[in-house]
Amino acid sequence: MSGKYKTPMLDELEKGPWPSFVTEIKKAAKKSSMADDELGQLEKSYKTKRGYWKHGGIVGVLGYGGGVIGRYSSLPEEFPGIAHFHTVRINQTSGFFYTAKALKEICDIWDKYGSGLTNMHGSTGDLVLLGTTTENLEAIFAEYSSRGWDLGGSGSAMRTPSCCVGPGRCEWSNIDTLDITYTLTQEFQDELHRPAFPYKFKIKTAGCAVDCVAAIARADMSIIGTWKGNIQIDQAEVKKYADKGMNIQAEIIDMCPTNCMAYDGKTLKINDVECNRCMHCIAKMTKALRSGKEKGATILIGSKAPIVVGSLLSWVIVPFIKADAPYTELKELIRKIIGWWDDTAKPRERIGEVIESEGMRPFLEAIGVPPMPQQVKEPRKDPFFFWSESDFK
Amino acid sequence: METAELQDKIFAYMEKMKGKKKLKEKDVIKALAEETSEAPDTVKKALRGMIDVGRLMYSYGGGASSVEIPSEEYLREKGLIK
Repeated sequence: MSGKYKTPMLDELEKGPWPSFVTEIKKAAKKSSMADDELGQLEKSYKTKRGYWKHGGIVGVLGYGGGVIGRYSSLPEEFPGIAHFHTVRINQTSGFFYTAKALKEICDIWDKYGSGLTNMHGSTGDLVLLGTTTENLEAIFAEYSSRGWDLGGSGSAMRTPSCCVGPGRCEWSNIDTLDITYTLTQEFQDELHRPAFPYKFKIKTAGCAVDCVAAIARADMSIIGTWKGNIQIDQAEVKKYADKGMNIQAEIIDMCPTNCMAYDGKTLKINDVECNRCMHCIAKMTKALRSGKEKGATILIGSKAPIVVGSLLSWVIVPFIKADAPYTELKELIRKIIGWWDDTAKPRERIGEVIESEGMRPFLEAIGVPPMPQQVKEPRKDPFFFWSESDFK
Repeated sequence: METAELQDKIFAYMEKMKGKKKLKEKDVIKALAEETSEAPDTVKKALRGMIDVGRLMYSYGGGASSVEIPSEEYLREKGLIK
């Protein structure tokens, strides 16, 4: 089955010390004619500098509006194995923790019905299965769902919430990102599977401001773990870092974005009032510093990649919210946010774009969040407080 | 109003709008809630019932999702007609 096509240009991408997707497709092509034809079409694309994929269309499983992305080759006679090459999104586990047994189960089903190619994971967070035919979709869904798996989100829907590894592997996580993500996934099942929004809406949860899940750059709504109170300092451990050669002045003090730290060669001091909880010092001096004891989350809104307008980074709207189960306050806030966006946005407008065009003030009024100094994103972006007629009565 | 009657009205509206505008779920719910004076949630439930059995379907194009009447090809593919 493999080796039907000569691929001199793709072969170049196997050279060098790094992993190669070409090598992986070639491995799959030993068992799958779909993967083999995929190689052939890709080589042709590289030669002609043209893409041969048609995207979209009407494919899916009965009752669901998302989870399957239609993809067809525009050269079905030349590459019949990939005439249909649909993508299936499987809702990933929180923090991407799988047992070997679970991964084998996923791959066995996929080998049976698809190309065998996977993407672990797509940028939304889903476990992505690349390449199957329309007639296999219902059977794939039936097999996965009977084993407790579900499809992820796609189209104008809430996308599968995702998070960093959180407390599963990171003791500096300020919130239980895994539980928050699981809870929100269950809470918003309808919004995830039934696309009713103007466009996509992504929620990502990071345990701290290091933001290993890159929420601040990718999610319409970022939930980022933070704290109230002072950073806990262990001066004996600070001394050990200095004794081992760390240049605390250069690596920590001078790197503090708010200049709220000082070190006299013996004692590390932090003016916590000025701290913006960026996590730089804590991440560098993990044994000496710990975040404050009262944990919670900062909520940011509006990041996206450039499609309709340019890319946006998230904007703080709630500096601190309690993030303890059952997350009632958080769920209510999310419903208010998507409610305003759904009522206000034009088709294909992300929430960040709507806020840019309508202004932060009507958004904050609609979701019932008062203007606060922490919401000032940059100089000249004021805290959205304006007098209205009713204020003078 | 009985659910079946409401679903017939939804279907009639979808037929009337076919080829004129890509309808989001919300567009259908709003229009039928106005037409029938039923609560939006009631219309939504009736609409979802139609999608679950393949009388209506979700479609996707140009980056946005919409609701429409399924083609024969779709119904055949799902085993709903021969």
